[in-house]
Amino acid sequence: MKQKLPYPSREEHPRREYDLMMTRRHFFGRSALGIGTAALANLLDCELLRAAKTNSRGLHHAAKATRVIYLFMSGGPSHHDLWDYKPKMNNMFGEQLPEHIRNGQRITGMTASQKNGLPLAPSKYRFSFQKNNDRGVWVSELLPHTATVVKELCVVHSAFTEAINHDPAITYIQTGSQIPGRPSLGAWVSYGLGSLNENLPGYIVMHAKSRFPEQSLFNRLWGTGFMPSDHQGILLRSEGDPVLYLSNPAGVFRSDRRAQLDALAAINQAQHERFADPEILSRIRQHEMAYRMQTSVPEVMDLSDESESTFALYGEDSRIPGTFAACCLNARRLAERGVRNIQIFHRGWDAHGNLPKEHESQCKDVDQACAALIQDLKRRGMLDDTLVVWGGEFGRTAYCQGTLKQDNYGRDHHPRCFTVWMAGGGIQPGVTYGRTDDYGYNIAHEDGAPMNPQPNKEHWTPGTMHIHDLNATILYLLGIDHTRLTYRYQGRDFRLTDVHGHILRPLLA
Amino acid sequence: MFEKASLKIGAGTKGLGLSIGGVVLSVWAAIAAKEEPAEKAVDFARQILPILSDKCFVCHGPDAKKKDFLRLDSFAGATKDRGGYQAVNPQAPEESELLARIYDADDPMPPADAEKQLTEKERELLSRWVRQGGQYAKHWAFVPPQKHRPPLREEARGSIDAFLAAAMEEDGVNFAPEADKAVLARRASLVLTGLPPEPERLADFLADESPDAYERFVEERLASPRYGEHQARYWLDAVRYGDTHGLHLDNRRGIYPYRDWVVNAFNENLPLDDFITWQLAGDLLPNPTLEQELATGFVRMNPTTAEGGAIPLEFQAKNNFDRTETLGTVFLGMTLACARCHTHKYDPITQTEYYRLFAFFNSTAEHSMDGNAYAYGPVAKAPENPADWPDWERFLKRRSDLLRRAAMEKTVPPSALSEFAKPRAEWKAGEWKQSPILKAEATFPKEEDWKEAKGLPGAIPKSSLPKPGTALWLSFEVETPEKQTLWLRFAGGEGSAVFINREEVSLQSSASWGQVPILAPLLFSKGTHHVHLKIAGSSSGGPIKARLENPWDTVAKAGSLKTSSEEKLLLLLADPAGPFHKLGQSALALRLAREYAAKEPALTTSLIARDLAKPRETKVLRRGEYHLPIGDALQPGVPSIMGDFPKNAPRNRLGLAQWLTAQNHPVVSRVIINRVWQRTFGHGLARSPEDFGAQGQYPTHPELLDWLAVELQESGWNLKRMLRLMVTSRAFRQSSKRRRDRSDPENRLFARGPSHRLDAETLRDIGLWAGGMLDFQMGGEGVKPYQPAGLWAALAHPASNTKRYQQDQGRRLYRRSLYVYWKRTSPHPMMTLFDAPSREASCVRRSRTNTPLQSLGLLNETQRVEMGRMLGERLLRERAEDAGRLDLLFALLASRPPTQKEQTACLRLLEQMKQRYQQDEKAASALLAIGEATGKGTINLAEHAAWTQVASTVLASDTAILNY
Repeated sequence: MKQKLPYPSREEHPRREYDLMMTRRHFFGRSALGIGTAALANLLDCELLRAAKTNSRGLHHAAKATRVIYLFMSGGPSHHDLWDYKPKMNNMFGEQLPEHIRNGQRITGMTASQKNGLPLAPSKYRFSFQKNNDRGVWVSELLPHTATVVKELCVVHSAFTEAINHDPAITYIQTGSQIPGRPSLGAWVSYGLGSLNENLPGYIVMHAKSRFPEQSLFNRLWGTGFMPSDHQGILLRSEGDPVLYLSNPAGVFRSDRRAQLDALAAINQAQHERFADPEILSRIRQHEMAYRMQTSVPEVMDLSDESESTFALYGEDSRIPGTFAACCLNARRLAERGVRNIQIFHRGWDAHGNLPKEHESQCKDVDQACAALIQDLKRRGMLDDTLVVWGGEFGRTAYCQGTLKQDNYGRDHHPRCFTVWMAGGGIQPGVTYGRTDDYGYNIAHEDGAPMNPQPNKEHWTPGTMHIHDLNATILYLLGIDHTRLTYRYQGRDFRLTDVHGHILRPLLA
Repeated sequence: MFEKASLKIGAGTKGLGLSIGGVVLSVWAAIAAKEEPAEKAVDFARQILPILSDKCFVCHGPDAKKKDFLRLDSFAGATKDRGGYQAVNPQAPEESELLARIYDADDPMPPADAEKQLTEKERELLSRWVRQGGQYAKHWAFVPPQKHRPPLREEARGSIDAFLAAAMEEDGVNFAPEADKAVLARRASLVLTGLPPEPERLADFLADESPDAYERFVEERLASPRYGEHQARYWLDAVRYGDTHGLHLDNRRGIYPYRDWVVNAFNENLPLDDFITWQLAGDLLPNPTLEQELATGFVRMNPTTAEGGAIPLEFQAKNNFDRTETLGTVFLGMTLACARCHTHKYDPITQTEYYRLFAFFNSTAEHSMDGNAYAYGPVAKAPENPADWPDWERFLKRRSDLLRRAAMEKTVPPSALSEFAKPRAEWKAGEWKQSPILKAEATFPKEEDWKEAKGLPGAIPKSSLPKPGTALWLSFEVETPEKQTLWLRFAGGEGSAVFINREEVSLQSSASWGQVPILAPLLFSKGTHHVHLKIAGSSSGGPIKARLENPWDTVAKAGSLKTSSEEKLLLLLADPAGPFHKLGQSALALRLAREYAAKEPALTTSLIARDLAKPRETKVLRRGEYHLPIGDALQPGVPSIMGDFPKNAPRNRLGLAQWLTAQNHPVVSRVIINRVWQRTFGHGLARSPEDFGAQGQYPTHPELLDWLAVELQESGWNLKRMLRLMVTSRAFRQSSKRRRDRSDPENRLFARGPSHRLDAETLRDIGLWAGGMLDFQMGGEGVKPYQPAGLWAALAHPASNTKRYQQDQGRRLYRRSLYVYWKRTSPHPMMTLFDAPSREASCVRRSRTNTPLQSLGLLNETQRVEMGRMLGERLLRERAEDAGRLDLLFALLASRPPTQKEQTACLRLLEQMKQRYQQDEKAASALLAIGEATGKGTINLAEHAAWTQVASTVLASDTAILNY
């Protein structure tokens, strides 16, 4: 029996509805779905909105994670030497990568025509088996601290991407497109969820020091592309002002600034009386928030109230501003204060040559601090609603780039499989997901046979995680449906995950 | 489009079920009852197409995946007999399946799980449309604009106002009162030039009561060189102009002459059709001028990479995706990106058409990887300073005229040429030696004083440069197998000399010793010779290069003149010992060669477009993957929905430009004029300037937009004329105060004047200008003002040549912001903070955000504080009393005196600050030490610091940072 749909009376106040929509459109294009509270707060009454949003409520469904800390290993860490134990390769030292394993893979111009071909380079590092809540996980001796927290981690061996060079690959994993111009993951989160703390930016980015800052980063990785620029990541820096232009100029005290702001408010108020532009009132509030940030940001950066045991946990490096360890400690402090979205970029993982020397140093930078961050969040009861993600833009090859020795080698870029781990915030703790073949080259079935055909972004294959799947899952845990968080630009409702992405339900707690 | 879309609908699909019955009719009756008595006719293009596009086309649109699937993007598709029923049945509307399904609770369309559902209003509209016959019409933007007769309205000053007034009337409002004269002057000045009016000029204008006072004020703004600089900014955003390559190392790129050309073009009011043509295809015009070549920098503006291991073929595709899609945004107001991978979901553009457009760009001559090179060829040489371009062009013309007249290749047969060149390419020069720095008057250095000359031939190391009153001697041996000329280039002060076998050679240098490089033909007999070169110190102190050159080397290698550049040909022609000497042009050639040598140090290079002799093959790329070409090779072509490719036009970028600028092109003139309107009135007539497609917003005033588009074309694409029409309209001259009688937050009626925050560049320019620091020098390499330390280093690849930010000194700190160096992966933070795009991708509308970080930037950034300091000093210097100073401050920034309230607030702050800094002179000194600008006189420290604070505060206030 056919029925006529009831007419809903949604438009009781068409005028108000119209105005509201128009103001929203002003900020969000015509998307009626992606309503970022931060941007709305600019327009409407802040207090009202603050009352309307609660910490744990997601945009589309209940959030598992209130915040995310993304530890980004820029350059592409070697899964072979850190996470993906391949004992069979020990007997294949120097042998050529079999053609059936390469299986048509395009490889970069750096190794495509090297004289020694594609000689297999077994990792020189020892791995130890660590029990977790699943089938257990092998961890390299380079990550002794991380090894102690694997019961909190969900280790994914089967991350993959299509991009084979740094610039496209890092742009892809952070913005969903290999070509610049799209909003970053962080910008999408900010757009979807807004900020929890009016005195701190909602999206903060840190650059940790590295001895091998070999690859470039780009503003676009935390930029907003075609979205309004107030969703961009704010750099928290270890040199100069922690946030750009935070400090008053020399010779200007806080009381002087107060006097300036009072005069400024009076002038702006007068302007508002003349022109009645609501943006002016909003700007008066922004000036006040800036004034508050001038104390709230230094307070976050000031580690003097941290206990000795905390420094011991994160390691001595954490006392030195700008180290990865210090950034992790800052990240925890920011998370405590309601910053939703924190990213730490650590460069130097692009080990084309001298991988052992470089990766040893890199691991020393990050290992203890990663473990400490997990433990610290856990003991403070924050791990449950804080998602921590660790990973790079791709993995590294099973074969050597350059001269191969038992104890020294390099590895080229490898998009077909790499390891990423996640923890907390609605992710199953202590599980191991996905496998690679005996060469750590292809994503494999449970029996170790390479998947054929290769998994691709068009369809989700159980046991695999395309980078769009990773991003879809991150958004999901934050209470966002990646297919519904859209922003209209040029007539198209753009998404972080383009037309792809699958939530990795097996990994959810 | 909808009429001619090709359809693949057959019978027997399950697209729609049979569900016509009483229920539908009852729905029908209900609607009919509701709409009684008279029903307004629906406008398909405005009301229906947006619904179909947004809610239905994703499955039933141009990209319908399944064969024979229902398509709703054309009348034929919608009315196709689908086995006893039709989606839209014009004969019996009530039997239309569409009508049933949109109200069907059990089997609705869109399906229950579809992301986008119809609203009730949309259902009603669709029903009404079906009932009225379900007629289709072309999407408005694909119908060429018609010049509708403006409605007659008494209150209108011109046609613009007439269209606006008619729409206001429908809404029951009229124009707002005219803005204050002063406010209007500031507004017009900011819109046209990006700077407020000078206080003296403002005073004259306010006192001028003649009826055309405002028009004359506008004319002055249009004639100011500041006009071109300001208008250029919008274009540079659209074409994504940057000073770096944009990807990976993000190295320096030499293309700023393009930016300077854009400024020139606006200042000279180059007709916009030429403006477009030169950029797309200046190189393909007959005998292109320098400016026409530089303009093709547009084609080369895509971000590029040279990342190790990147696959050239992949970037050949990516570079051209970027160009094709930028063309779409900039000229067609349309996203083409969808069609890269599949036929467009919403707009009738097929994937094949995308790759036909792509093909126009696929044959440019540059390598797909940039090599991290500044001069990523092909490049054109041009003087760094655009003011020198005319002189350079005249020089180029004289040179090519001479070479054409000489017809060298006809004078000497190739065999004779080779015969002459080959032995002469066998010359050898020994190692260069240098002397210690000697007194200027000293003669040949002693034997034991000579040592190896490092870096020579080439640049003389800084430590070896002679100062005035001294000289550096160089020497080397030359072995020549034949009698021949070698060319020596160096620079030196007066008294410099060259000796062959200790006999001085005449240099014929003149008054410009030291400034101008010397070019000397050295004539050698067969044998071994000793050359001495005395370089006298000069006060110019610049780097000195010295080298020896033989233009015959190139000829010997090629066996002809074909590979010799014009510079080399000139030397061949000038050669006193060469076969062309008999042409009698040697003296002129030498003069021109010397002129070139003199100009060369101030030349730079700029990326330009060239086509390969043999075009690259273009095919459709499956899913946009570079390594998955499918089908036959494609000829370059254009999307058919936007009009045919002009007959007889060449199938290259020039033809593409002819298509874009053709009189019947439906979108280009609309897209361009909409953006001009947007920057003048704050919002476009079409609110989505980047999308004129079916998903874009319908224009608020379609007839006005069309009128403007046609007027633009009929005026000869005269931008100044269009701007003049806009800023002299009544609409522009209205008060911008929000109206109580009409809630219109987005000013969709344009029933008040424009108001919005100014752009990043304008904010900085106003401050520099008010502080008397703005340097009006135009053009040249991007400038680097203050920037917090370490921003670039924190991101950059260690091998990048933009790793370190080397801040400029002196006047370069105070140039207009248009000239600020644009590193695409890390633009200046004050730009980014105030919504400037990164210039990695096209931007035709900046966001206007309002954030706390902007407050910090406005009040704490070094240059902002410096502006406050210099402005404070200016106020103290130019006015004797505090009240007068405040008047001047507000005259500069707000074009009016302060109100009582503002005066009270400012004077209170002033007093507070005076007291504070009187008690703390150290703080005052610290504040006044910020920035490198030096003031003009000694002023009381505390007073200056206090005024600095007041000036900084007003500079940050909404009276200064808004247009209103």
